[in-house]
Amino acid sequence: MNPALIRAIALGAIAGVAAGLFGVGGGVIVVPGLVLWLALTQREASGTSTATIVASSAAAMLAFGISGSVDWQAAGLILVGSVVGAWGGAWIAERVNERALAITFALVLAVAGVRMVL
Amino acid sequence: MLEIIALITLGLFAGATAAALGLGGGIIFVPSLVVLFGFDQHIAQGTSLAVIFPTAIVATLGHARMGNVRWRLAVPIGTAGIFGAVLGAQIALQLDGDLLRRMFGVFLILLAARMGWRAWRINDQSEPSPDPS
Repeated sequence: MNPALIRAIALGAIAGVAAGLFGVGGGVIVVPGLVLWLALTQREASGTSTATIVASSAAAMLAFGISGSVDWQAAGLILVGSVVGAWGGAWIAERVNERALAITFALVLAVAGVRMVL
Repeated sequence: MLEIIALITLGLFAGATAAALGLGGGIIFVPSLVVLFGFDQHIAQGTSLAVIFPTAIVATLGHARMGNVRWRLAVPIGTAGIFGAVLGAQIALQLDGDLLRRMFGVFLILLAARMGWRAWRINDQSEPSPDPS
């Protein structure tokens, strides 16, 4: 097998485990992996990562769903909000300082992380 | 009723933040559902995945139309991802909710540190950058 294929499979397996274990998409692992290991541009990495998340999130969602660990109604409501929010986000991104937004967001995540550990 | 509005609002904020910062919703949905809504860790994760799946389909269609999906890589990564995801989900479902929540918290702190560090550094060396468009 060619080395790029081996890297792709390893990347998918690692990201998939993280997706299943933590209920996230796995983009936080796939995107940097594609840029650093497979030399994609940021743009291609985002697009390719999203396509892989369709597969891994479907598999993990089914596993959680079968065990009764999905609140489908809550998911539907969040989805409605996030579709609208995504439009708003593009608008916001053009008007605020992305660095300030990223640092603020990182702080909020860190506080949430500490709350969850304690 | 209040919870319905609150969940839609969570979606609004998460969708906007995710779009503005170019990241997925999962790292927002799971902690919000646990910390703000008092969801069990397992239900929060399952629910997060149920939002991510349709969102990823729509996002992929948009990216594919612009030619930003490298299918020859996406297919093996996604296929390996299915196996990994099933394994990861089985591990998560076996774990006690409190332990899983703490593990998620550590994961979140690490992500926040990486994200904050990168954002902090980027501007230190920034010239007025050329318009990317």
